Amino acid sequence: MAIILGAGIVVKLVLLLLLSFSVVSWGIILFKFFQVQRAKGESERFMDFFWKSKRFDAIASQVDRFAHSPLTVLFNEGYNELKKVVESDSKSDGSALSTDLGGVENVSRALRRATNSEITRLEKYLTFLATTGSTSPFIGLFGTVWGIMTAFEGIGKTGSASLAVVAPGIAEALIATAIGLVAAIPAVMAYNHFQHKIRVLINEMDSFTTEFLNIVQRNIAGK
Amino acid sequence: MNSRNLRIDTGMSVSFIASAVIHLAVFLLLAWYGRLMPLQTPIQETYYVDVVNLPTANPQSGDSAQKPAESEAPPPPPVLTPPAMALPPSVISPKAVSKPAMVPVPQKSEAPDTAFAERMAKLERSAEARREEAVFDKLRSKLKTGGSSKIGMPGAGGAEAGSRYGDYIKSRLEDALKVTSSYSTKNPEVVVRLTIAPDGRLSGVKIERSSGDATFELAVRRAIDLASAKFTAPPGRTVYENGFVFKPKSISSGTSR
Repeated sequence: MAIILGAGIVVKLVLLLLLSFSVVSWGIILFKFFQVQRAKGESERFMDFFWKSKRFDAIASQVDRFAHSPLTVLFNEGYNELKKVVESDSKSDGSALSTDLGGVENVSRALRRATNSEITRLEKYLTFLATTGSTSPFIGLFGTVWGIMTAFEGIGKTGSASLAVVAPGIAEALIATAIGLVAAIPAVMAYNHFQHKIRVLINEMDSFTTEFLNIVQRNIAGK
Repeated sequence: MNSRNLRIDTGMSVSFIASAVIHLAVFLLLAWYGRLMPLQTPIQETYYVDVVNLPTANPQSGDSAQKPAESEAPPPPPVLTPPAMALPPSVISPKAVSKPAMVPVPQKSEAPDTAFAERMAKLERSAEARREEAVFDKLRSKLKTGGSSKIGMPGAGGAEAGSRYGDYIKSRLEDALKVTSSYSTKNPEVVVRLTIAPDGRLSGVKIERSSGDATFELAVRRAIDLASAKFTAPPGRTVYENGFVFKPKSISSGTSR
């Protein structure tokens, strides 16, 4: 602790900055961990429920049970759009679903939009992890360089270059690089981990979109 | 959608609080560990030992580890006469005093015939005799100057320049100056007159001359403070006073009173 308290003001500021980076990035890591875990678990359960159910309105009534899954957002958006298409068709010519595939296109666009918004939501704050991972070592290095500069200045003033004079200054300086690495390493590891998990969820969303459109198209063609 | 966003915000703040708590816990753990195992200070206590020749051991006979049989049959102690004040000065050979290192080392394994062994034994005996003479000579000189017979203490009178007590003080000052040395001009020089009371306490420090480098003056004062904690009492329990010329790399003693 004395090594930190004895450091210069610039090194202290660098350490404070790195500490705040570390606190924020660990906050994001914890938040993302639970968010992705819940999204994955609830998506699996939602898909089970989806394939067991026969009717969309039955699924829509139960969708709140899986609120953390991105697939429920997609389902809600697709279902709402489908309802609008059906309502507009019934208003225009009085028959049920028309064979016009324009309605399917609408649903497809709604699902794509929902997918994009869910990807944005899942990837939110991840850029901070990437920034912490790439810049923290450099910020720490800056603190070290500054600390060593100050240490050498002191050596020049005292005229003594013994190890007892040089070593404490350099140790104080090196702590900045150490803290920089401590902040950066978990951030980079977590960033890569979450990128992989989110890619899996995006694939699941794409698969669900395809299945949903297939079901809608089968029903339209079957009428 | 609003309730969903609200839930996300709550989750974020909970995560940040948890992160801050984790960091605080790690910090406290490190502080506790640091208190438990403090860093070792680079400056360690220095022990000073004055090496004196004693007529009790033959340095060429090797140590006990090389002679396991020594514990069973210890060699007879060297025959010592009490400090031979009555010995005539002519006995002391200047050659023996000045060249104790020239004594040939006996190597018993390379002595195949008895003639050679006898010759070696004779040489060894003469070397032993000369070494003892040299030691007695040193003891006599020490007694003449009124030095203390206590081992490890500076033994000379310290009344003259370059005496052993003066050298001892100079050596302590040099060691201390190595620690405190700092200066801002090129070749600073400070002349200080030190007075050491009979009990070894530093009773007077007077800067007689200075080249004007305040940084070096401060370093010299700190060196004197540091060194004075380890001063021993002057021999003969007299007041010791001497001038010392401090330079960044060396200290030379001036005249003493």
